[in-house]
Formats: sequence, structure tokens, C-alpha cells
Amino acid sequence: MASTACFMIVSKNDIPIYEAEVGTVPKKEDAAHQHQFILHAALDIVQDTAWNTSAMFLKSIDRFNDLVVSVYVTAGHILSFVMSD
Amino acid sequence: MATFLPQFQSIKSSFAHIVLSVEDVSDLWPTIKKGFEERLPFKRASLNNKTRNPVLVDELPAEFILTTDARLRSRFPQEQSLFWFREPYATIVLVTCEDLDEFKNILKPRLKLIVQNDDREWFIVYVSKAPAHNDQATKMAKKVFAKLEVDFSSKKRERCCKLDIHGPDPNFWDDLEGKIMECIRNTLDRRILFYEEEIRKLSEQRFMPVWNFCNFFILKESLAFMFEVAHLHEDALREYDELELCYLETVNMAGKQRDFGGMEKGDDQATLLDSGKKALAQIVQDDSFREFEFRQYLFSCQAKLLFKLKRPFEVASRGYSFIISFSGALALHESMLPFCMREVWVITACLALIGATASNYEDGLAAPDVEKEFYRVQGELHTLCHTKFMRLGHLVGYGSDIERSPVNSASLSMLPWPKPAVWPPLPPDASSEVLAKEKMILQESPRLKHFGIQRKPLPLEPSVLLREANRRRASLSAGNMSDLFDGRPRSGDGDSSGTPSAVQRVSNVSMSRTLSSPGNFDGSIDRPMRLAEIFVAAEHALRNTISDAELWKSLSSVEEFEKKYLDLSKGAANNYHRSWWKRHGVVLDGEIAAVHHKHENYDLAANLYEKVCALYAGEGWENLLAEVLPNLAECQKILSDQAGYLSSCVKLLSLDKGLFLPKERQAFQSEVVRLAHSEMEHPVPLDVSSLITFSSNQGPPLELCDGDPGTLTVALWSGFPDDITLESLSVMLTATNSNDEGAKAIKSSEAIVLMPGRNNITVSLPPQKPGSYVLGALTGQIGQLRFRSHSFSKGGPADTDDFMSFEKPTRPVLKVARPRSLVDLAAAVSSALLMNETQWVGIIVKPINYSLKGAVLHIDTGPGLSIAEKHEIEIEKHEFGANNTDHSDNPPDNHSPVSADVKQLSLEDGKINLPDWTSNITSVLWIPLKAISHGLAEGTPAGTVSQRQSIVDGLRTIALRLDFGVSHNQTFEKTVAVHFTDPFYVTTRVADKCSDGTLLLQVILQSQVKASLTVSDAWLDLQDGFAHTGKGDGRPVSKFFPLIVSSKSRAGILFSICVVDTPAKDGEELDPISVLNIRYTISGDRNLGAHSPVTKELTGPENETDPLTFRSALVLQRPVLDPCFAVGFLPLPSNGLRVGQLVTMKWRVERLKDSGKDVDSDDVDEVLYEVNVNSENWMVAGRKRGYTSLSTKQGSIIVISILCLPLVAGYVRPPQLGLPDVDKANISCNPPGPHLVCVLPPAFSSSYCVPAA
Repeated sequence: MASTACFMIVSKNDIPIYEAEVGTVPKKEDAAHQHQFILHAALDIVQDTAWNTSAMFLKSIDRFNDLVVSVYVTAGHILSFVMSD
Repeated sequence: MATFLPQFQSIKSSFAHIVLSVEDVSDLWPTIKKGFEERLPFKRASLNNKTRNPVLVDELPAEFILTTDARLRSRFPQEQSLFWFREPYATIVLVTCEDLDEFKNILKPRLKLIVQNDDREWFIVYVSKAPAHNDQATKMAKKVFAKLEVDFSSKKRERCCKLDIHGPDPNFWDDLEGKIMECIRNTLDRRILFYEEEIRKLSEQRFMPVWNFCNFFILKESLAFMFEVAHLHEDALREYDELELCYLETVNMAGKQRDFGGMEKGDDQATLLDSGKKALAQIVQDDSFREFEFRQYLFSCQAKLLFKLKRPFEVASRGYSFIISFSGALALHESMLPFCMREVWVITACLALIGATASNYEDGLAAPDVEKEFYRVQGELHTLCHTKFMRLGHLVGYGSDIERSPVNSASLSMLPWPKPAVWPPLPPDASSEVLAKEKMILQESPRLKHFGIQRKPLPLEPSVLLREANRRRASLSAGNMSDLFDGRPRSGDGDSSGTPSAVQRVSNVSMSRTLSSPGNFDGSIDRPMRLAEIFVAAEHALRNTISDAELWKSLSSVEEFEKKYLDLSKGAANNYHRSWWKRHGVVLDGEIAAVHHKHENYDLAANLYEKVCALYAGEGWENLLAEVLPNLAECQKILSDQAGYLSSCVKLLSLDKGLFLPKERQAFQSEVVRLAHSEMEHPVPLDVSSLITFSSNQGPPLELCDGDPGTLTVALWSGFPDDITLESLSVMLTATNSNDEGAKAIKSSEAIVLMPGRNNITVSLPPQKPGSYVLGALTGQIGQLRFRSHSFSKGGPADTDDFMSFEKPTRPVLKVARPRSLVDLAAAVSSALLMNETQWVGIIVKPINYSLKGAVLHIDTGPGLSIAEKHEIEIEKHEFGANNTDHSDNPPDNHSPVSADVKQLSLEDGKINLPDWTSNITSVLWIPLKAISHGLAEGTPAGTVSQRQSIVDGLRTIALRLDFGVSHNQTFEKTVAVHFTDPFYVTTRVADKCSDGTLLLQVILQSQVKASLTVSDAWLDLQDGFAHTGKGDGRPVSKFFPLIVSSKSRAGILFSICVVDTPAKDGEELDPISVLNIRYTISGDRNLGAHSPVTKELTGPENETDPLTFRSALVLQRPVLDPCFAVGFLPLPSNGLRVGQLVTMKWRVERLKDSGKDVDSDDVDEVLYEVNVNSENWMVAGRKRGYTSLSTKQGSIIVISILCLPLVAGYVRPPQLGLPDVDKANISCNPPGPHLVCVLPPAFSSSYCVPAA
């Protein structure tokens, strides 16, 4: 089954520094915007969640319809997002 | 039990307070009713909750009802147990009695009868009517009350209290309240126990077939209601929560297919906050309730309690979760529900929840965290509502009015279409509406983006609506659909209405929009619906679904739709901002901006777009920024915000190249250039840091000497897609070592064309102060536009390993060395040169690691020195030491392409241009100079103190100034001293005094130069009074010429002369000086010292040069033959001289000859004497100068004594006696006085050491 997955690394200043579409769904032109938008919006949630837990892996912090966003927060507050359906 | 539901509902609705029954035995109630009711509601009631913990309740409302009241009378026992919560919680028995007998016989049995029912909590209020002044009556009342207490109170419980009507006891009311509370508490406890027991029993049967949820519900809600009435809201909420859990468990139980509900008119409007909308009896189904209504009912009960508990934020968050989960439940039953029921319900639910929670919420009600969360949920509710509303709008054909932004696209394109069992069919007689929709579709034109940006619009549909709608139509099978999209004619039902043209028409959305013709629909059910038809059909279906007039109005026209859309966006944005979810908030601001943009409210739109762009740009999300920034730019352009527009264009250009087509990027650039070259009203500097970056070139920094100009190369990266002309460009240099000094702008003079990518720009650098400099910022002009860039290139130097740091410490680009000597000028020869002859004076020009290219040497000779301008000036390479060239190991001068030949240079206005080949090597400049000395050299007679010519006399100075450096900016000045001298220093002495009066005069020649002198001839021109013996040609006795005098050596020449008396000629002065003439030649090297004079014709060093003549004056003195006086210094006392001790100096003056004047007479002659003494060393006591008488006879002697006092210790010159009147030649010093005498320090004073006698 085709799956959508996007991996992104965001620096501590919330600047995206790496982005990869890793799903098996063929990449659509508009998907980049959509995925960026969803991950960008998830930063709001990360900012609330990251400081309230000692866990580094924040499982499914956000859900956008079928897409689930998980994030791994490093000690230096570099965020590694994984978005998948 | 389920049959009691309607009754239960009515009881609930009519029952609001705790009931306290009043048993009015003695008809007292009308009298005291007022006083009792004034106590209501009870302040600070203490009750027990379900877990038997005391809970303080503020303001407990209650109602006193007489037992005779109809409300309490007509009840069946069965009801009582079920609805026990409405029974009185306390029974107050009011009695009065003023007679003991009456009490005993009548009242007591009656009371016993009343209180015998154990179920009731009761107490007796004895009302005393006795007036205060009537002691008898009062006493009696007391007695009766005492009796009453004995009979009815027990040790455990006080059940009686006394109210005095005429003099009320202030404690009575507290007592009464306490007793009432006790009763209520006890009743409540008992009833809780009862209900718990009942519920437990029912719970045990939960999995049995007889289980009936309605019964359970009635019990559970009765308990909850009882808690609610008792103001124990927490407990009530807990009961409802448990009820909900229990219901969800039963409703999800497999095997029981129940009616979901939601099919009735008005069900589309959420009732999640309105519990009374529908009677429970209506929603009963079998043994339970319909899920659709009942879950909303439960939530509304919970919400009501939460509002009472002042927790609106919890209502919001629970409500949001409820809506989400309920929406899921609706989705499961979607096929049975009306079209879009789910969407409509969610919209109404969100709106209801938003309204209720917002109106119940006051700022500061909760902790900041909770408040933040509240606003976030509000934002989420708005967003959810917004999304569903957009979906409905899209279904009825307003899709083109929805901004195709990332947020809308993400929300809608992933949200599945409604899934009705059958897509709503096109109603009959809707042709006019279809026509209208067709027209609308045709009229809509895709809004062109500014800059001609063409981009595939972001999708708002999860799949093509046309396809989805047709797929779900009842009459079209899946096979039909494949035909529809594959373009093949359908084979199944033989209906050929889907002609190939029609098939193709729907195969593409855009084509169907443009090609569908209004006359083509014939209502055939099997023909695939066109888009306009789908819209009309959906609109009709929605009209049936939506019962809320307000919501329907919002969907009725585009304007209303946009109004609602804007309201929801604003609500969401505001709430997100208040919850600090800035990204969510700002994104929605962008949606609002889009609407304003569309309606040409550019001002508002630009403001909001700026916020969005600032967020995306700040966090570097370029894909998202690229979506919004062109819109902002367009608004700014329309608003004539040139500065903003330019800045937006620059930002667009600096975005990732892949985000825009080259053509679009060129459009951005042309806008920048167009504006830059137009007359801007308010020219502002433009920050192009993201577009034009710069860095120093790789490699070491440019190193300059102090004061030198230079050229600095800077690498510039241009992000413009095409070449761009910069009218000017300045690079700011910032000194790293000094804080006070600001940055200096280095300007590039001419216009520069920047190509895309890397450019190397060279700027000329004026002299800078010493220090190291880094690149500060770049400023310049494009047309009229000033721009500024202060970002260092990321792509430049290879050491950008740290990707994160944009502000990395910069490498110095320029180092200006501290002032140092760059060149040295020195005289090549330190030994003396020939005076009065033209000599080569060598000046060594030594560059010190600095090029002297183009250097000019200014020569200014001092007094007594002149440049022989007839001669060329020579320059040659300087050899360090004569042996350097002998080292065969060293390749000869391979570091310099210049031959070591001597080159001629000419002097112009005292300046010499140094040839280029000397720029890096040490060279010697030979300048022909002539030192002039007008005096004749003087010889010194033998025996006299040497009075050799002072060196200073032969010193001449040459002031040199060297202008050099890249632009003659460096100057080096030096004054070089050159020493000139005569070739010989001449001394004479009389070698022998012959008996015949001949004197052998020896002339000693001391060579003073570092050269070999060859004397070819010498003669002496004698002064008057002397004559040569012999031939008299003045030549020396011996003729050993040529006489070679080597460097620094001496030679002697003998002359034979005699003394002659020269008769004095009248009017002629006697020649007092003899002159020694020497003819000589010199052979020397100019590299060592004196050498042959420079002649005009350079015939070569081998050729004989003309002999030179040297003349020296000699003073010959006639011998002193007849001393007249002898002055002898008499010995000093032997004990030596001491400071401060007087000493007598004695001289003996003896006349050696008779005075020539008057020999016969015995007269004495007065002799003048004088003591020469240094007054610093000696003090003379007495006269220094005076006459003393001395006999004129030969041999007469006189002793002159002078008392002196030495003043300083040490070797000092003693006083000298002189005879001023007598010629020195006639004084013989015999014995001569000492040159120095020793003066001892003063004797130590012993006066302090001698003890007093």
C-alpha cells in the first residue's frame, strides 16, 4: 500500500534544514507545500509539549486528518519530524 | 421502570430545591413563616459527598413546605423510592403548649405519632408565646419545654429547640440551622446509600439479557440530580461521567443493532448544550436510548454542571473531543443520515460550543496555562467549523471563492467527501438553477498572480468532485464510471446517452467547465451529472438537511459565505494568537488577508500578509513564503508602498531558485530595476543582504604597509537572475582592534555589472591606519536606489562547516602593518674624501622588504658642498663586502635580472629617478660632489700642542629625501654626513741646528686618506726671515721623488734653511707664513675612501691623472735665544695641601740679563706680575696682579709669595705666575711649575670626639 511519509529536520531556530519525502506515494507538486504547512503548524505543539516532558521522542503530537506527526527532540532542541499516514 | 421516564423528566424540571417539610401541629406556621424563610438560602451548608467526605456548600437553596401541601400528599409509595430525591430532607414539627397537663395528655401522644416514622429526619421547634414581662407564663413555657426535651431528645441527639416569639433568642436561628443541616445531611447520606445499593444491584445484571439501560439511567440520573440539587456538582458530574462510560459500553456492544437517530427534522442542529431539546421518552429505543440524541443529552448535562462549577474551559476541551468522537460516530452512520448531516452537525456544534464557552468565560478565571489551553481549543473549534463550512461551500459551488492556500488545501484535500448512500440527484425543474451555476462557473476566471506567476493551484478536493458524485449515484455502477474515465463507450445497459463527446467532456474538470452547454441536460438519470448539476443537487439536498436558518443564510450566496468564512477565520486566528500558537494564528491571518485582498482592501491585506511573511521568513520556511509573498508584493505595489514592494521583490529573488521559474525571477528583477531607476518619492535604503552576499577572497588577507594604498578584491554573489548594473558600490571596512573608530567606506568608483553568481570586485583602497580590518557591510546604488547588504556569503569560503551560524566571526580581509622603516639611506664610505676635489660620494639605498619602484631621490647639499652638475650620477648594485662575488657557490645574482653594471643617471632639479631594477635590491648611488674649503691647511710646528684640523671642519652634510611607495605616498628623509679632508697633515720640526746657523727643517707628512698618495714634487716657499741654503729653489735636500705615502702612513722631507735678517721694506708687510707645496697623485677606490677627483672625461682608472697640488701653511719661528727672566716655582710645603688650609705659593723671579735700558743706575725696575688661577679651585688672599720692584742688575732675585686657599680636593692646576709685560720668549721657566697638584680633602673635625675637659 502506498504511503505518504515526510522526514524533516528543523533547527533550534525553527528553520527547516533538511526535508525528504520518503513515502511510496509518487511526489505531487503540491505535496511539498502541504507537508511543510503541516509540519510548520506542528511546531506550535512542539513548543508546548517539548518543555513539559522529559521524553525526547514525542509520539504523534499532531494529527492532520490521516497524517500523524511525530517528533524527536534532541538535547540541543533540533527537531526531527516524521509525518506519515 | 422505563415507563417512569416522562414522570421523571417532569419531576426533574419542576424540582429545583431541597424540600423541608413543616408539620404545623399548633397552627404556628403563618406566624413564624417569615422568620424561617428569611434564613434561606442557607449559607455555608456542610454536607457529605458520595465518599462521605464533608463538603462545604455555599448558598444551599431550600424550600419549606407544609406537610399538608398537595405536593407532598399525592404520591405512590413506589414512586417514592424511585424519586426519593424529591422527598423532604427534614421534618420540622412546630408546637406550642402552655400547660403541662395539656402537653402530657394531648400533645405528647400526638407528637409520638408524628415522629414514629423512622425514615424521616425530624426535630421539634417549641414556640413560646409567653410575653417577656409575664413571669408565670415564661416559667410555664420553660417547664413544658423541659418536659418536651426529656421526652423527645436523647443523649445522642438533641431534637428540640425553643423559639420565643416575644423575645427571640439570637442563638435560636443558629440552633435551628444546625438542626436542619443535620437532618439534611443524614437524609442525604441515607439516600445516597439507597441509590448506590440500587445501582450496584443493577450493575451486577449488566451483562444479563434482562438488563435495561433505561432503568439504570433513571437511578443513576436520580442520584446525579440529587447531588445537583444539593449543590454537590462534582459528584453529579462524576455520576454523568460514569453514565456516559456505561452507555458507550452498551451502545458498542456487538450484536445489538440499534437505530442511531438523527433522522428527524432539526437533528442537524447540535443539542450538545441543550438537554431539554428533546424529551428522553422520545429517544427511548427498546431498553436503551438512541445514540445520536442521548450522547448529546449526556454531554449537555455534563456541560451544565461544568458551567456551574465555573469550568467553561473544561466544557470547551471536553466539547472539542466530543465533537471529534461524535463526528466519527456520525461518519459510521453517514449513509443513513441526511446529506452532509455530519458536516452540518459539526458546524452547529462548534458554533454552539464556542458561543456558550466564550460567554461563560471571563479572563483571569483560570490559571495562565489553562487559559492558554482554553483559547487554543477555541481556535481549534473555529478551525474545525471553518473547514466543514468550506466543505459545504465547495459542494454548493463556492470553491472558486476559497483561497487556495496551503492551509485550506491541507485541510480540504485530505478531508474525504461526504459519503451518502446515494449522491443527491438533481431535482426536477432545477434547470434555471443549473443554468445560473453554469454561468457562474463560466464567469469565474482564475485570478492571475502578480509577476505573472503561473503555478498549479493547490487542490481543495481530496478527489475530483465530479467523479466522486457520479460514482455515488444510484444508477451508475462502478463499470459505468470506468467507462466515464477511460473514454470507452459503456457496454452494459445499452444506454448511449454518454456519447463520446460527453465522455471526454467529463474526463477533465476544466474541460467540463468550459464545454458543458446549458442545453445539454435532459434530466436523464443515467447520464453523468455535470459539475453545475452536482452543485445544484447538493444545494437542494443541503437545504433539506440544514434547519438552521442562520447557517443556511451563510450558504445562500457568495457574499454571505465569505462573510461567515471571514468570521470563522478571524475567530480562529484571534484565539490562536491568544493561546500563543502563533503559527496557527498567523496562517489564519493569511486567510483573512486573502479575503481582504480579493475585496481590494489592500491596506488590511498587506498588514496581515506582512505578519505571515515575517513568520515564514523568520523561520525560513521558503515553500510557504513563496506562496504568500507575491500577494504581499502585489498589495504593496497597489498601495504604492515602494519600500515594502522593493523589499518584497528582493525577498522573492532571494528565495530558493527552484521555487520560481526563471521567467518569474526575471520579472522580480525587472521590477526592482524599474523602481530603482524611477523617481521614488521617499527613497529608502534597501536591505539586500539575502540577495547580494559577499566575502573576502580566499587566501591570506591583503597586507599593506602603513600609509600605502592598495586594491582590495571582494567576492560578491549576486542572487539576481540576470546581470544587474550597480551605479556605485562601497565596501565598509571595520577595524577589529579599535572600538571607537567606526567603519570606513571604501568606494568603487565606476559602475559595476554584477553577473549572476560569483563576481570579483576590485576596489582601490586609500591608505589606512595600522590594524586589521574585516568586511563590514556592502552599500551601493542601483539607479537611485541605495542598497545595503551585511551578510557574508555562505557559499564562499570553504570553512563554512557550521551551517547554523550565520554570524560567524569574519576573517580579516586587510592587515595594515604598524609603521616601520621601509628603506634606509646611508653613506657608502665612512673614511674621508679629498677636500676641494670632486669626489664620488656613495649613497647606499637599501629597501627593507619594500619595493622602491618609481622612487625619486631628492638631494640637497649642505653649505660648503656642491654637486658637480657636469657629471652624470652613477648607480650600481651594492655588494655586501668585497668577498661576496668570490663565493663561487652562490650563483651570481640570479635573484635579480639586473646586471651589476654601473648605470648613469642624470640629476634634474635636485631629483633623481631611481631605475626600476633597483626597486628591490640594495644599490649605491654615486654622486660627484665637491667640498669647498677656502682656508689653507695649516701645518704644526714640532713641540707645540697638536692643533690638528678639527674633524668638524671637514664634515659636510647631504639632505636626502626619498619619495617612494605605490603612489609616492611614502617619504624617507635622512641627512648623511660625509667627511672631507686634506690629503696630508703636515708637522715640522727642526731636525738639527748646525753650528753654521743652518737649520735642518723636517717636514712630516701624515697621510689622512685611505688611498695611496704619490708625491712627485715638493717645495717650500719660505717666509721672510728665512732662506734656503744651497741653490735656493725651495726643493728638499734629498730627492727621492716620487715618494709614495700609503694609507695612514707618514713620510718626512728635509729642507735646509737658515735664518736671515730681512731688512724691513717700507710699506710692505713681512710675509709671516711659509707655504709647503706638494704635487701628488692619488690612487684610491671610491668604495673605500678618497680617490682621484672626478674629471669630466672619464678616461678610465688606468690612465694617469694630472698631479694635484696640496699647499699647507707653516709658521717658522725664529729660535728664542735670550731669556731675560727666569721664573721658578718654589717647592710646596711637604705636608701637602688640604682643602681649607691656607698655603703660600712662592715663585722666584730672577733677572738673567741686565736691563738694556739703564744699566748704570742702581735703580730698581717695576715688574708687573699676575697670578692666573682658576677661581673655582683656588681662592687667592691678596692681590693677583701687581708690581714688584726688581733690581735692574743681572742676577737680582725676588720671591713673590701669594697666599692661596684650595677650595676643592683632587688634582688641580696650581696658580701660575705670569709676567704680562715681558714677552713670553724672554721668560725661562726654571724650574717649571707643576701641571697639577694634589689637594687633600679637609681634615676630619675631631671636636665632637674629644670629651669635655
